[in-house]
Amino acid sequence: MNYQDSDNGWLLRVRNLTKIYGDPISNSIQYTGPAHGTNICPETDAIVACAEINFDLYPGEVLGVVGESGSGKSTLVQLLYFDQMATGGEVHFKAIDEGKTNIVTLSNQRKRQARSSLMGMVYQNPRDGLNFNFSAGGNIAEKLLMAGNFHVGRIRERASFLLEKTEVPVKRMDNTPATFSGGMQQRVQISKAIANNPPLLFLDEVTSGLDVSVQAKVLDLIRHLQRELGVSMIVVSHDLAVIRMLTDRTLVMKNGRIVESGLTDQILQDPQHPYTQLLVSSLL
Amino acid sequence: MPTLLKVQNVSKHFQLHIQNNKHIPALHDVSFEMDQGDILGLTGKSGSGKSSLMKCIYRTYLVNSGTIQLHTDSGAVVDLATANEHEVLKIRKTEMFYCSQFLSVIPRVPAVDVVAESLTRKGHDHAEARARARDLLDQLGLPQELWDAFPATFSGGEQQRVNVARAIIAAPRFLLIDEPTASLDAKTKDVVIDLVLALKARGTSVVLITHDQHTLERMSSRRLHLEFGRVRELATA
Repeated sequence: MNYQDSDNGWLLRVRNLTKIYGDPISNSIQYTGPAHGTNICPETDAIVACAEINFDLYPGEVLGVVGESGSGKSTLVQLLYFDQMATGGEVHFKAIDEGKTNIVTLSNQRKRQARSSLMGMVYQNPRDGLNFNFSAGGNIAEKLLMAGNFHVGRIRERASFLLEKTEVPVKRMDNTPATFSGGMQQRVQISKAIANNPPLLFLDEVTSGLDVSVQAKVLDLIRHLQRELGVSMIVVSHDLAVIRMLTDRTLVMKNGRIVESGLTDQILQDPQHPYTQLLVSSLL
Repeated sequence: MPTLLKVQNVSKHFQLHIQNNKHIPALHDVSFEMDQGDILGLTGKSGSGKSSLMKCIYRTYLVNSGTIQLHTDSGAVVDLATANEHEVLKIRKTEMFYCSQFLSVIPRVPAVDVVAESLTRKGHDHAEARARARDLLDQLGLPQELWDAFPATFSGGEQQRVNVARAIIAAPRFLLIDEPTASLDAKTKDVVIDLVLALKARGTSVVLITHDQHTLERMSSRRLHLEFGRVRELATA
């Protein structure tokens, strides 16, 4: 991968981030990857979900991650959001200890703190990001409480502000997400994710499964929030139209590796890797 | 005038891995320099490499060899062919603007906001940016009832007006502009030419692609003629 170290302006720095499921041997990484066409270690059946992942994310930047199902793109953001434990590698985040600490090694308590106040995540499936036993407002309150906001009046005020911003009818605030449409559930997830104004937001296939008109509204909302709040985002999608609309730079993943990275217009118009060329030529 | 851009030995080909490794040559050993304030007209037949060269400068295409040195506003010399992506993004945001042949915009954004965005991204106030955008669209003859409509539904000529307005409103230091006057009537053509010349007078440097002899003659101070991806002639107009 053509990677250059750059100056000190990064917000998130990822180096050699690796996640292996199962029983790896020392050669598991070597035996897998795009050159082998698999991410399953031939000797132990360990799955190399992510390996040798390197990139920097800058403040206010929107980074796209594309790749086929099973390429490791969701694992990547789940590692960064501490949904999963990394097997190895380093992640530095300027909002934590000024970027000096490898946050992969933080205590569970500090990881929880970071998740609740410094990061937000929007999952493809609203059931992963929302508690369906709580009301919409309750879900947002949970995130605010985790970050140490205990004033009930202010929590309700913030929750209704966020729902209004994401165009969820505020009068539905006390209903559970189970009674909402898919598009509304995604909006509640987005409200929850940005509740504490985090500098870093992960979006994992947030528009997949929505019908196109709802998809368009969710994308417009994300674009609007990004510009208004200046939040940095990592956007995972298999949809190149989403990537083109939202991102400045793009990583292309295959078999758990980054096979190509570049400016989004370059990736789309002058793709270098055979897999990226296939992906772009598959655009309808 | 001081140098703005120095392109040296740029070659570019496309390797189509999924089509039997087909090799498509685009540019071969292209070298030229331009000074600040120049309007360099790229000429040549369709397929001679004009747009490819422009996209290499903007870094939408990666060159296979050669350097593209930009002397930036801050006095640094940056090789756009190899510079860090963040550096390229910063240069795009602050001083280099690419106006493609056809308008490509974020869907569902009204024309006036498409144009105003070039100003707001540079930190201008939203209301002021919109006012200036309306002014410019008016000068370019875009009917007022279209200002708040989505450009996706516009005719070719109307889209072209939005495209040009977006490119010039923020007076970029370095403008790459591909066929700005195609699909425009003669009167609007001259408005566009005058607007770009006014930018030049304020110091903007321009790389221009056009097949229109009138546009070329009125605008370009120098010409680079390409044939089969090679420089055939570099001349002062």
